[in-house]
Amino acid sequence: MEDIKLRVEGIEKSFPGVKALSNISFAVRKGTVHALCGENGAGKSTLMKVLTGLYKADAGQIYIDEKPVEIKNPIQAREYGISMIAQELNYVSELSVEENLFMGRLPVNRFGKVDWKKVRQEAVKFLKEEHLSYAPDQKLKTLTVSDIQMLEIIKAITNNAQIVLMDEPTSSISQKEVELLFEKIAELKAKGVSIVYISHKMDEVFRIADDITVIRDGEVVSSDRAENLDIDTVIARMVGRKMENVYPKEEMPIGEKVFEVKDFHQKGIFDNINFYARKGEIVGFAGLVGAGRTEVMRAVFGLDPKEGGTVLIDGQEVAIRSPEDAISRKLIMLSEDRKEYGIVPVRSVTENASLASLKNYFFKGFCHRQKEKEEVREIFQKMDVKTPTLDTLISSLSGGNAQKVLLARWMLCEPEIMILDEPTRGIDVGAKFEIYKLMTDIVRDGRTIVMVSSELPELIGMCDRIYVMCQGLITGCLERKDFSQERIMMLATGLLNSEQKGA
Amino acid sequence: MNKQKLSAYLQRFSIFIVLIVMFLVCSLLSPYFLTPNNLMNVARQLCVGILLAYAEMILIVSGFLDLSIGSVLALAGVLSVSCFKSTHSMLLALLVAFAVGVVCNLINATFVAQFNVPAFIATLGMQQVARGVALYYTGGANILQLGKFVKLGQGMLGPIPIPVLIVLVITVIVWYLFNHTRYGRSLYAIGGNRKAAEASGINAKKSIYISYIICGLLAGLAGAIFMARNNSGIPNGAVGYEMTGLTAAIVGGTSFSGGVGTVMGTVAGAFIIGFLENIMNLIGVNSYIQSIIEGAIIVFAVAFDIRSKNRKTTKQIMAVKDEDAKKG
Amino acid sequence: MKKWKALTAAALSMAMVVTPVTALADDAYRVCFVARASADTFAAWLTNEMKKAAEQYDDIELTCVSGEADDAEMAKQLEDCITKQYDYVIVQSNNNAAQAPYVKAIADAGIPVVTTNPTTHQCDLDGETGDPEVDNAVMAGTGTVDADPVAQAAVGAQRAVEEVPENANVVVFRGPSGNYHAEKRREAWDTYFFDVRKDVNILYEDYANWNNDEAMALMETWVQGGTHIDAIISMNDNMAAGAIEAVRNNTDYIAEDGTPSFLAYGVDGTAQGCLLIKEGLLTATALQNAAEIAQLNMDYCEKVLNGEMEYTDVNDYVDAPEINAENVDEFIQIYVENGEISEADLAE
Repeated sequence: MEDIKLRVEGIEKSFPGVKALSNISFAVRKGTVHALCGENGAGKSTLMKVLTGLYKADAGQIYIDEKPVEIKNPIQAREYGISMIAQELNYVSELSVEENLFMGRLPVNRFGKVDWKKVRQEAVKFLKEEHLSYAPDQKLKTLTVSDIQMLEIIKAITNNAQIVLMDEPTSSISQKEVELLFEKIAELKAKGVSIVYISHKMDEVFRIADDITVIRDGEVVSSDRAENLDIDTVIARMVGRKMENVYPKEEMPIGEKVFEVKDFHQKGIFDNINFYARKGEIVGFAGLVGAGRTEVMRAVFGLDPKEGGTVLIDGQEVAIRSPEDAISRKLIMLSEDRKEYGIVPVRSVTENASLASLKNYFFKGFCHRQKEKEEVREIFQKMDVKTPTLDTLISSLSGGNAQKVLLARWMLCEPEIMILDEPTRGIDVGAKFEIYKLMTDIVRDGRTIVMVSSELPELIGMCDRIYVMCQGLITGCLERKDFSQERIMMLATGLLNSEQKGA
Repeated sequence: MNKQKLSAYLQRFSIFIVLIVMFLVCSLLSPYFLTPNNLMNVARQLCVGILLAYAEMILIVSGFLDLSIGSVLALAGVLSVSCFKSTHSMLLALLVAFAVGVVCNLINATFVAQFNVPAFIATLGMQQVARGVALYYTGGANILQLGKFVKLGQGMLGPIPIPVLIVLVITVIVWYLFNHTRYGRSLYAIGGNRKAAEASGINAKKSIYISYIICGLLAGLAGAIFMARNNSGIPNGAVGYEMTGLTAAIVGGTSFSGGVGTVMGTVAGAFIIGFLENIMNLIGVNSYIQSIIEGAIIVFAVAFDIRSKNRKTTKQIMAVKDEDAKKG
Repeated sequence: MKKWKALTAAALSMAMVVTPVTALADDAYRVCFVARASADTFAAWLTNEMKKAAEQYDDIELTCVSGEADDAEMAKQLEDCITKQYDYVIVQSNNNAAQAPYVKAIADAGIPVVTTNPTTHQCDLDGETGDPEVDNAVMAGTGTVDADPVAQAAVGAQRAVEEVPENANVVVFRGPSGNYHAEKRREAWDTYFFDVRKDVNILYEDYANWNNDEAMALMETWVQGGTHIDAIISMNDNMAAGAIEAVRNNTDYIAEDGTPSFLAYGVDGTAQGCLLIKEGLLTATALQNAAEIAQLNMDYCEKVLNGEMEYTDVNDYVDAPEINAENVDEFIQIYVENGEISEADLAE
């Protein structure tokens, strides 16, 4: 029997009116990766908060090295060697790399003055060891999001941690950095550090996990060695039912060209962008992070400036200078960053849903609130949005439900062409499936979808054609029959450059 | 479920509960508090403050603010008064007041919307400029003998003071703006998340301009009423009134982080402060002590309000989970 | 961005070149008047009168600055006076004790300094000793031209002793706390009125900080208290005007025919005060004549600068003539002449 580093026994946690965790028990072996799988809202985050001392469990016991411990606050958790990499990055962009690295644990001399010399020394040493190319006094805001994510991860594990909790650590880093992270994890394992790994990306989980515990509705469904499991089993346990088909794609007759983008260019960001989409078609955009896909779509939608290029809808050239123009042409865009460009957190789900189609509810000098509620309720029903009331704040919904509200916002505009940028980012498997189903319904109605995604399986599963971008250029366009992960990756990394710009 | 609904209802109107409690306590503290005369008196005193509170609320809801409103009020007021003295036309005088308010706030809006100067700085600059112009124009002296102009601040229409009547009309207009126009709805969205609003096709810049213009109109009107009430054109009047307006709006539940705020909440906020000042003057509390009590009560009222609101959000999260659990 | 910087730099260097040139242009004595505020009616009036008075002397070039009713700003202005090496400085303090060290610094720098309305006393610097002889002495090394606040307030107070009915209820409006004139005027009311008329009851008393609107709001509430207010005792005319405005439409206080059922006393004799006396609503006030204070200041200034007298010997007080219903017309005439009151105002 191997050593157990962390054991939780019968953890219970209730909030007024609901039981968030009930009788959670599992054990993490020393020097292994233990994956926690579960849908959003299953209780993973609550469990993490209990482990880091942010919440106090109502019942149950945590053991470290088989000794019972009580973790009252995050500082104590750190003393027990528990370190957490949160899904939401917490950093101060105006401070330097070294200040962020040592935040909350700056070394001080006996007069209470910060020992900056020591900070600099350690930071330099540390950055060198980790092969990171930035300067210790560089402000964090000059780094990319994935750099920051890496820094956060490294910061957490160099905290002399014995147990590292990682909550979706790869959600905003590129493939290359994922590899770096996995190397790092292997290194840690070798040192005997235990890792609790939360991710929605099943392929990642199966690559690195030694054990997998599945949680559903606040209870442990199973806790097994990874080698005894496969992806379908885990997903089935997570959602509590067997998923027949992950991608509900229906092959449908495709109509004529309704949407065409010609010669879009913006210096230093993208160039020579030409693509089109047909009625009833789902067109995918693949590429690595930073390939310029989002930037192109934002420029098409009128959110970002462009130096040149035209948009044709139904063969007619249309001028799009702002999202307002685009919406009036029945062209909409679901933004990639739900928090930044999507939800208005302090307002109700109804107001969030009707935001892009206010014209339909404010006319003749009055707000027709009844009509607004009716139409929102209808679309919510159609899309199966789960919300306690129509006045609930959107910020209290789960990621998947919030995303559906945003999709509802655009559906209410009755669009013909929908650009969906990372429509399934950060939402759980069940909700993803529902979004795919909705996409299928949308094209069945004769609308057109342009989907940008970084998840190749979903592009391959859902699209009729895929454009691939690399460094601001479209490097290829594949028909459904030609889809393969390898070809897309080759195009995306610029190793292969097919000469045709879409058939 | 019914019980839950009731408590949600109570929480939603928590600021009105504070107001009612305050009202009851005040009527116990002084026998004069509940007299119609005194209540009318409070209403009259609050007129200028409520107009400013609306202006601030409109801006705070959309994520901005106006620190220049007290000075713009004074400038609009003295120019309006001197226009009245030379033309004897109430209409012209009011037009001047509105024009001054709008011009000042168009400048504010240009800096805020066009050059992205933080509203705090842009309007702080205007605060000094407008006050300076008002003092320069009058040479620092009060303008006297306003004649019929005082009706605007002191006159009565039947049993109701004219300024109170004006504020009632403005309240309806502001309420209408917030509840029945696309502009009002966009303000909430812009304040809650400007990028999301813009990505949803809302023209945020236009809304910001409109907000500052409305703010200017309110400042101009408040200026005319203020001078009329005091029966003089006071260039150094209304110093610090931007804080009065801000406080009423914030006490009334307007969130400084934007996206949240209601007209009725703001009225309640203004009355909470108004009653507080009134009762302390009625029972003769020394003004230094008044300041201590006022500060403390304002913070407690807002803390109570925020606490109740927070509880509401947690409940709603729980409710979602509950339903999910039932379905699963 | 660069363009801006260049422009600012150019403007700054221009300013630096121009300033000494204008100063050197004539041989006039450079005199600075530091007013307590520009947004204060009386300070503004005094500043205007100072400018007018200075115009009469060819050898005096007067600069007027203001402390904006802020002690930190006052300190800055006073320090600047030393930097700029004025020949003579006249100071109207905002807060005597706060400005006393800075006034002393000017004197120590060898610049003649005269405090005016209010006087800075030695005790403002050292703290009160309790010995009236020492406490009431003008600060060493400075001169003063002032109006005597006690004498000013005594005018109204002495009338009130005779006029205020027995067991009357009165309200008191005070100027900013810590202000020399505000405190002295209030003391005078104690000495000449409240100590004599023990029967009088102070219903309410509060600080309205010289302000019209603050006094108005207070008075509006106080009249709700139910007890009839027999007299308004205000430390200046501005606050008295606000208080009167609060009861203008109240028939309990002003009958339909315009007869008031209350007495009201102010100080300063401002244009507004005079008009209220004319209207019969203000009972009496005492003139604090800014023109006279300014004139005296400039007279002494000229003498000192031409070596006719020592500035430390400047020690003069203007009279505080009473203004009442009988003599108000002659004072109104003065205001009409200097343009503060127009003929049209009188018609109303």
